[in-house]
Amino acid sequence: MSSGSPLLADLIEALRCLPGVGGKSAQRMAFHLLERERERGLKLAAVMEQAMRRIGHCERCRNFSEEPLCSLCASSSRDRQVLCVVESPTDLAAIEQATGYRGQYFVLMGRLSPLDGLGPEELGLAQLAQRLGEGEIEELIIATNPTVEGEATAHYLAQLARAGGVRPTRLAHGVPLGGELEYVDRSTLAHAFGGRQLLD
Amino acid sequence: MRIEQQPAYVLHARAYRETSLLLECLTREHGRLGVVARGVRGERSRLRRAQLEPFQPLVLDLLLRGELATLTAVEVVDTPARLSGDAGLAGLYLNELVVRLTGRQDPHPLLFDAYARTLARLAAGESLAWSLRRFERDLLEAIGYGLQLQHDADTGEAIEPAACYRYVAEQGAMRCAAGSPRALRGSDLLALEQDEMPDSVGLKELRDMMREVIRFHLGGGELRAWRVLAMAVSRRP
Repeated sequence: MSSGSPLLADLIEALRCLPGVGGKSAQRMAFHLLERERERGLKLAAVMEQAMRRIGHCERCRNFSEEPLCSLCASSSRDRQVLCVVESPTDLAAIEQATGYRGQYFVLMGRLSPLDGLGPEELGLAQLAQRLGEGEIEELIIATNPTVEGEATAHYLAQLARAGGVRPTRLAHGVPLGGELEYVDRSTLAHAFGGRQLLD
Repeated sequence: MRIEQQPAYVLHARAYRETSLLLECLTREHGRLGVVARGVRGERSRLRRAQLEPFQPLVLDLLLRGELATLTAVEVVDTPARLSGDAGLAGLYLNELVVRLTGRQDPHPLLFDAYARTLARLAAGESLAWSLRRFERDLLEAIGYGLQLQHDADTGEAIEPAACYRYVAEQGAMRCAAGSPRALRGSDLLALEQDEMPDSVGLKELRDMMREVIRFHLGGGELRAWRVLAMAVSRRP
């Protein structure tokens, strides 16, 4: 693009690294920051710089953290006998907000997916196996997504748990609340039907 | 080009743009296709994400333009193959194998049929190792790299069940001394040819042979799923 300003072109190009941002959006963002939001643009740049340099992974749960131990792992009020495994930090946030779970987490940062180049090593499973072997954990809650890859990962994790003498449990799947059976897809309904529970 | 009512399986899906998916599909008549499923990750999508999971027999309507096709309609024709436990890991292996060894838009109807058959075998709880070997054999056959399992590649004589062979990719089986590295029994080669399950020693020999052949056709690479499968099996008590 010939805007007459190489720096502006660089900014637009740099903004395109964000998900869902193409050339047009990047241009709009750049002009918006330059015309109206200089202050906040500077703040954004400063925070971005800090975050990119300082945020790493927690040593225990692999979640993003700027300390060696994240606040959840460092907290003394969390139950250390249950460990919940999730695929991503957004899944962790969803469980935190919805469930009142008081145990600890382990974040895989992905799922077993050979075609995406994600195997046991990339997911830190050796680290998880070591934690399970420490003897403190009694239950491993496997909260990977109910996709084919998430299920394969769950199976693998369950084997790890059993090898470490830990009880593996899996989130239930079924019909969503407020849903109508007529509109639920076949496989979800088949799952819900197969996993029906005794009413008492 | 409009493609209608095409039997297909999804091999792999990844997020694309804000709410779309980029699928790798195996279709019966058009081979492997990259397919964009627009808006399926959005909340108001007409299509359900669950329908586009792997191992589910689908019929797709597609619009093929250049490299990628766009999904216009999808119909689930049957309940998905329930691959639980190690069968699920084996299923991921099948998918990686197909994606890595076939090119896009290269039609292989026989491969599609072999894939469907293998999913059914895995779902029915048949031997994982044997189902995978049969699939690898059929895959290589379908894409034009069929194995030579009847004759000695050096002499042209029939394979002898009691003799030892070493299988070299693109050449075939050659007699070797018993106990040499990667040697297999003639009876194992014939078992694969005649589609009769060999004993566990034979299965292991055939696995090693297949890996070497596949590695050759990958140009020396490794499949990620091998490590996943190896660790899953070694963890078993």
